[in-house]
Amino acid sequence: MSMTGNKISIKLTHQGVLVTLLFGLIITFGLIEPVFFRPSVLLDVMAIMGDVGVMALGMTYIITTSGVDLSVGYNQQLSAVVFGMVYLSTRNLALAIAAALLCGTVLGFFNGLIVAKTKIPPLVTTLATMYLFRGISMILAGSMTYSGFPQGFRLFFTYRLFGVLPIQFIYFTAVFLILDSLYSYGALGRNLKGMGFNEESVHFSGVKIQKIKIGIYTLLGLLCGFAALMYLGRLSVAKTSIGDWINFQVITAVLLGGTSINGGVGSIRGTFIAILIIGVLKKGYTLMSLSGNIFNFTLGTILILSLIVFAVTEERKNVVSSKIRKTNIPTRV
Amino acid sequence: MKKSIRMTREVVLAIIVAVFILFLSLTTNFNTVSGIYSFMLDISPTIVAAIALSLVIFTGNIDISAGTIMGFVAYTAGKLAEAGIPFVIFLPAGMLVGVALAGLNGYITVKFKVPSIVVTLAMNMVHIGFYATFLPMSGWIENLGENFTWFGRGRFLNIIPYGFVLAFFVSLLFMFIMKYTKFGKALYAVGGSIQSAMYSGIDPDRTVIKAFLMEGLLLGIAAVMKATTRSDVMPSLFIGRELFFISAALVGGVSIFGGVGKIFGTVMGALLVYLLSISMIYLGFQDYYQFALQGIIILAAVYITVTDFSLLKKSYCKETDEFPGKKGEEA
Repeated sequence: MSMTGNKISIKLTHQGVLVTLLFGLIITFGLIEPVFFRPSVLLDVMAIMGDVGVMALGMTYIITTSGVDLSVGYNQQLSAVVFGMVYLSTRNLALAIAAALLCGTVLGFFNGLIVAKTKIPPLVTTLATMYLFRGISMILAGSMTYSGFPQGFRLFFTYRLFGVLPIQFIYFTAVFLILDSLYSYGALGRNLKGMGFNEESVHFSGVKIQKIKIGIYTLLGLLCGFAALMYLGRLSVAKTSIGDWINFQVITAVLLGGTSINGGVGSIRGTFIAILIIGVLKKGYTLMSLSGNIFNFTLGTILILSLIVFAVTEERKNVVSSKIRKTNIPTRV
Repeated sequence: MKKSIRMTREVVLAIIVAVFILFLSLTTNFNTVSGIYSFMLDISPTIVAAIALSLVIFTGNIDISAGTIMGFVAYTAGKLAEAGIPFVIFLPAGMLVGVALAGLNGYITVKFKVPSIVVTLAMNMVHIGFYATFLPMSGWIENLGENFTWFGRGRFLNIIPYGFVLAFFVSLLFMFIMKYTKFGKALYAVGGSIQSAMYSGIDPDRTVIKAFLMEGLLLGIAAVMKATTRSDVMPSLFIGRELFFISAALVGGVSIFGGVGKIFGTVMGALLVYLLSISMIYLGFQDYYQFALQGIIILAAVYITVTDFSLLKKSYCKETDEFPGKKGEEA
């Protein structure tokens, strides 16, 4: 019991640090570029992070079970290409939306099936499917870009509630609330964390871990399909570079949010705040007209730093030492 | 009985490669001098880099940033050669850069106990961001002279590139190292089971770092080998190439879980992956079919490894460590 209390207090401080970081970044960018303090700019942060955000929320489930999905970006790209192809050939919007969501779901299911039914580690599975999805989307699209989607579709994903609140943020918050309630209050969240700590014991306590695994990878696939629609609503061009670096952004958000890469410890709320931090960073860099490469460079550094920072905290050491037998990470005992 | 050749995975691969080369030489320009020369030229850096990756995979780790590390090496070598510094200095300098960057990967992996794939994925991004942002002209160096390209373009007897000879000796050296030295045994031991390795007096941390350092050294050689065939060099030259090196190692029978595999298998794997990719070009497929093909190759190779019981038996501790429940269902 005391252990649980302990953990909650640590998590709260971690989220406190993240919130401080968020406001610190906003103030810093605001001082450099005063335009950053305008509400419209801050709200735009939520709009540009919607698609990466929903994928990061789904990814938190998977990383909590000590898995990972590297293929998210190219799943999104392939779904977007499928949407473009179906829409431009049939001119049927509902069919195209269904096709994109179905495509994302099927790809996620494919990942989940391999991870759950074979002994291939998730990292390797999704590394391979990442290249596979990328290749397929390039084969389908060639050098073509798909554009010219109807105004109604764009409005559906760029609408501003009451003229200010971006609808992407509403979608993101809705997904967050659903996933967080399942994660923080239900048996599912406990099972996911348990699978991250020790899969065998969860299996022996009667939980169908294979079904859960297939389920969470399929869920992430569905969210990738949805993210593709959100992306197309915002930028309305389906091309074969959408997926580049997306998996970095998603994984960085999840790890920065306080989910352990070794599994067992996680926080959907942390991911939520981390997404906002990355969004502020992205918007700030855009306003300061810095290139996407500097953004990626910063994110890579943040990813490594957050790995290191969490490694040196006491909590993570406990997590890691309890998992030595399971993982392949060398350590002195 | 004792003398008969066992049909191990490596032997099967060697036969497949031989048949492949036979067919290619019957149908394409593979049997001409220029065909053989360009084949050897292309395959040499891939072999050396695949051996480099194998060393890391033997210990149960992986390095996704191999391609971008090679980019830094190529940039360093090109920059030094531009200033008129000879090959005998810029090759070790490049190797040093490789050792430093790969060593950093290994250090973070071991010191902070985080999966190497995530560390190197992040490093990949840091590297690319670094040279696109901080290097002038994204690190593009052009018009390199004879003092840079003599190694890459030079050939013995007008047919065998210097690089191929080097790759040949590197392969032989590492076959020897993995079979007969303490270092080689330690790599397998750590990859097989960290705890057993520890109980037999091997320091797993130091072994993994050594594997990464050695990887960096070989990546340095491979990058210089490839870069010196060109008169213009940029760090982005090798982005995404790690995919080929990893699939070469995995096709060659190196287990992704560590502890299993042979250098000869990796060499055969590198040849097979290369032959497959050029066959696709001969068959008229676009370049981007390669991504899909490599993805399928990795999945298939790993799937065969995890379901191959003779291999599983070799990685003794792995099988008992994972899902006993699931094993019961299958039996």
